[in-house]
Amino acid sequence: MEIRSHRFRVVDILLLCGVILPPVLGMVIKILTNSPSGGIEISGARIYFTLDLPFQSLPITEAQVNSWLVVISIFFLCLYLTHGLAVKAVTKRQLLAEWIVKTTENMISGNMGDYFIKVARGAFAPFVAGIMALSAFSSLLSLLGLYAPTSDINVSAGWALLVFILITYYKMKCGLPHYLKSFAEPVAFLTPLNVISEVATPVSMAFRHYGNILSGSVISVLVASALQGLSSMLLGWLPGFLGDIPFLQIGIPAILSLYFDIFGSLLQAFIFAMLTMLYVSGGFAIDDWELLQAKKKQKLQTQQ
Amino acid sequence: MQNLEVISVNLWQILISLCNLLIIFLILKKFLYAPVKKMLAARQAEIDSDYAAADEARRAAESDRAAYAEKLSAAQAEADEMRKRAVADAEHRSDKILAEAKEKADSMVRAAENEIALERQKATDDIKKEIAEVSTQIAGKLLEREIDENDHRELIDSFIDKIGERS
Repeated sequence: MEIRSHRFRVVDILLLCGVILPPVLGMVIKILTNSPSGGIEISGARIYFTLDLPFQSLPITEAQVNSWLVVISIFFLCLYLTHGLAVKAVTKRQLLAEWIVKTTENMISGNMGDYFIKVARGAFAPFVAGIMALSAFSSLLSLLGLYAPTSDINVSAGWALLVFILITYYKMKCGLPHYLKSFAEPVAFLTPLNVISEVATPVSMAFRHYGNILSGSVISVLVASALQGLSSMLLGWLPGFLGDIPFLQIGIPAILSLYFDIFGSLLQAFIFAMLTMLYVSGGFAIDDWELLQAKKKQKLQTQQ
Repeated sequence: MQNLEVISVNLWQILISLCNLLIIFLILKKFLYAPVKKMLAARQAEIDSDYAAADEARRAAESDRAAYAEKLSAAQAEADEMRKRAVADAEHRSDKILAEAKEKADSMVRAAENEIALERQKATDDIKKEIAEVSTQIAGKLLEREIDENDHRELIDSFIDKIGERS
């Protein structure tokens, strides 16, 4: 293996700094703006400042800032992974990058069919990977004690809205009449139910993701405070400051965190990506579309 | 510092989050998928060209081998031909030599036989002559008179022939 030049290493370190610094910046901001508050409180994201915009004023909160930090982090991570790509020199990061690309493309072709691999110049694999990366990294921010952007309903709702737009786009690919007719199936009087289920898709996606992450942090806070109470009740007789130390809070919340912060985060990211793939491919009537394309081709040929 | 309510829907925040996802999608597409796919395509092209080169080499080797086999078989055929010709030549020559020798021997035998026959003839003639002389002398002695050899020639000859037949 060739010896990397100094320049290469310096760029590497800078890229890694680009990955690590955003979360660190988030922690710094959190510490600087921390207002001591007694007792437990379960509330939304902290508002840094508010912009006055039409319709609704926009509060810039922890959720927004943290998700931007995640975006920056992922951007540098991509640059780091693809830094020094070579056809032959196989580094660990190159293997990881290749694994990500191949796995997501296999997922697309396995769950959505081969049509979606080629459509839009292969944009579906990076889209699904983007959902997974953004969701997973956002949720994992809670490991650092930061506010996970995914516990804000607006963040998951934004993603679900984009997925809904995609679903509708692919449903309309066979033409508007076909789309409207699909609501009256299998029988016409089910139309209201079909409309409700159509609207329920993005709503359920948004609430599932948001609810899972938020409930994880809420349960963690509740268990932590309960353990504090239990600790002072059981061990309060210890002399001096020893009685004030919440011994039971050591270790036990970590197990909960393992489940809610790591497992739950990754699972929800996977579920969101999976549902995206299934809904988009399920909404697209590929047989009807191919029939339509064949008809169009025939018409063109008869015209010529 | 204020906090948001746990559930507070805000249109702009939804839009921001949507844009974030779009941005992440574009970042991944441009900075992860595009370079990796380009690299994979380059690798595929390299593998393809390697395979093509290997195929080419194998085909060349096979054609070489065929040419060598052809040449080898031609050389073998030539050698066979040469050997056959040499053998035929040698047989021919040996036949010729044998025939010559036989002829020579035959002629020698024939000459010898002729000579023998001549000698024999001569010897018989000599013996006949001698016997004739001796018998004439004996008969002269017996008859006490000279027998004219020339007068009784016929008689003597027939006598000698009789002796010869008996012996």
